[in-house]
Amino acid sequence: MVSRATTLREPVAVVAAAQTKSHRRFEDAEPQLIMEVVNQVIEQSGLDRHDIGFTIAGSCDYLSGMPFAFVSNIDGVGAWPPVYESHVEMDGAFALFEGVVRLQLGDIDTVLVIGSGKSSPGTPRNVFPLQTDPYTMAPLGLDPISLAGLQADAMVRAGTATERDFAEVVSRSRRDAMSNPFAQVAKDISVDDLLAEPYHTTPLRQHDLPPISDGACAVLLARGATAEQLSDNPVWITGIDNRIETHHFGHCDLTTSPSTSLAAEKVGLHDGPIDVAELCVRYSPEEIVLRQAMGLADGTTINPSGGPLAAHPVMATGLIRIAEVATRLANGEGRRGVAHAASGACLQQNQLCVLDRERP
Amino acid sequence: MGDLPVIDYTLSFPYTRTTGPVMGPFLTALRDGQILGGRCGDRVLCPPLEYDPDTGAEVAPDLVPVGPGGTVTGSTWVSTPTEKHPFAEPFAFATIALDGADTPLIHAVKAPGPVEAGTRVMAQFRDERVGAITDVYFVPEADAVEQTIAPGDEPVEITEHLIGVRIQEDLYPFRKRYAQALLDGKILGQRSPKSGKVYVPSRGYDNMERVPMTEADDVFLPDIGTVVSFTEITPIQYHGQTETDPYIRCAILLDGADQPVTGIDIRDLRPPEFKVGLRLRCVWRPPAERDVSELDNRMGAIPEGVYERWEPTGEPDVNPDELRGQAW
Repeated sequence: MVSRATTLREPVAVVAAAQTKSHRRFEDAEPQLIMEVVNQVIEQSGLDRHDIGFTIAGSCDYLSGMPFAFVSNIDGVGAWPPVYESHVEMDGAFALFEGVVRLQLGDIDTVLVIGSGKSSPGTPRNVFPLQTDPYTMAPLGLDPISLAGLQADAMVRAGTATERDFAEVVSRSRRDAMSNPFAQVAKDISVDDLLAEPYHTTPLRQHDLPPISDGACAVLLARGATAEQLSDNPVWITGIDNRIETHHFGHCDLTTSPSTSLAAEKVGLHDGPIDVAELCVRYSPEEIVLRQAMGLADGTTINPSGGPLAAHPVMATGLIRIAEVATRLANGEGRRGVAHAASGACLQQNQLCVLDRERP
Repeated sequence: MGDLPVIDYTLSFPYTRTTGPVMGPFLTALRDGQILGGRCGDRVLCPPLEYDPDTGAEVAPDLVPVGPGGTVTGSTWVSTPTEKHPFAEPFAFATIALDGADTPLIHAVKAPGPVEAGTRVMAQFRDERVGAITDVYFVPEADAVEQTIAPGDEPVEITEHLIGVRIQEDLYPFRKRYAQALLDGKILGQRSPKSGKVYVPSRGYDNMERVPMTEADDVFLPDIGTVVSFTEITPIQYHGQTETDPYIRCAILLDGADQPVTGIDIRDLRPPEFKVGLRLRCVWRPPAERDVSELDNRMGAIPEGVYERWEPTGEPDVNPDELRGQAW
């Protein structure tokens, strides 16, 4: 097959990655979470922090409850002497996209990427309607859980999934999370036991929803030869792409994800086998939509960490997928993997990042 | 004695937005008891859009009435509504194919229980309408009542949407110990385990050396220090202003600290007596009167609620040259 992937001019690799435990309520400040992971990636790589070329962070002021909260987050990085940095009001995975693009200019060698968030002080279900259309949706308080309910309902009615399928995703996620030291929700629970629980937002039950979490993740990217100097096992980004669909969900077929399929094509997902996939499954039905949209084969291990159903520190959740895949590949658990990140309700925006132990 | 504050506030933003050539008539019609769709090629979109959702091409506004009846094409039963939802009791969010529209509208259906796909529903308009999507809701056809709606006067050209996010948290662990110390008439700082520098109030970590600090790093500081910078404020009268007389806001470097405490208000001293280098001592309020309620996790250092005044110690002034680098 001829690859249609957009190739990177400058090869970029993940050379270090760290995440905090997913806390139901972290009692201290967000910069503390950031400091923990930034110090870890600096230690892993042996890089002097003053030599980091560029720092980019993803966080959300609405979650922090203060305008410009992202500014104080830089305390966790260390802003003296002054650092070259930027910020996106998006998941850290999208910050990583900017980091990869920044490295293509070829003038710097390393980028520190951070994703962090504390969802616990606010009520996520009241915060996230603010992402929706401000005329026709936000005033209704149309929240991601209700929209996920509509998506799940559409799938059940179309026959693309059953409530049992949703429960199977959750049961596997809960069980896999038992071997993830960072997970918040981990349990050995059967599909039948899950199906016996009451509905939360039909046809979803509480366990089909993600936990409310506080946490952070950091990834250190390096270019070309620098990556090989900083790590014995650099994991190369061979493709990264993100695509967005309309925010008018009534205009979408919620049983599919054309933006994910297009991103899969652009990153050359099927240029080789995928050993491991970490998908941003915030609601259990999303895994079924994503699996189908990406055309993942049965041989691919999906969300061995338990995924966002086990730990969902919003604004770090997507970056954690990249950290998980990179760490597994660096440890020899497979050769090639894919990390997915999503933004917006009903998988409105999707990013795929293909990682490979072989330098392209 | 005052209590330690628990943080509970609502961060609010009043958004006002212009409505434009499509949303304007759509919202005006809702206020006047009608739902409009927009022609886009051979389809009718509801809600109407200024562009073709498939191509992004601009669409000339061509609005046509749709509904008020429609068929539910999908739904979810919201068993635990939020305070932002249209109903306090359980209800359905549904995709509703309004009669005459080719795309479904997502809206709320007030019903006694889950609403199946295929259910016929009818628009109901609220008594108080402002030109917003919340002016309307839906009920099963059998529950609908006839309504006579008097149209309003002016077209809806602006929408107002007050958003609010409620934030609830405890003081961070260091802030809690710091606030308790103030109530006890003491000033608590932290000494960096790496650099040895003393920060007050601390953030619970050393942002210069990037190390977390714990209770083991806590140190009490004397309530005596030196003015390192100040500004004299003449209050301008604006809505909400509570200050009337000129006052000083200053930064004081406490003895033994490596960072001044900023934002301390002084009301009984004036320049030229008040100057950089002046030595001051805190005169605490009696324990029963101390109040730290204005401290939160981000703002506030030594609030006026805990001291009566800062009085000159009578010691010789410190040479301002020695205080360079501490002026905040």
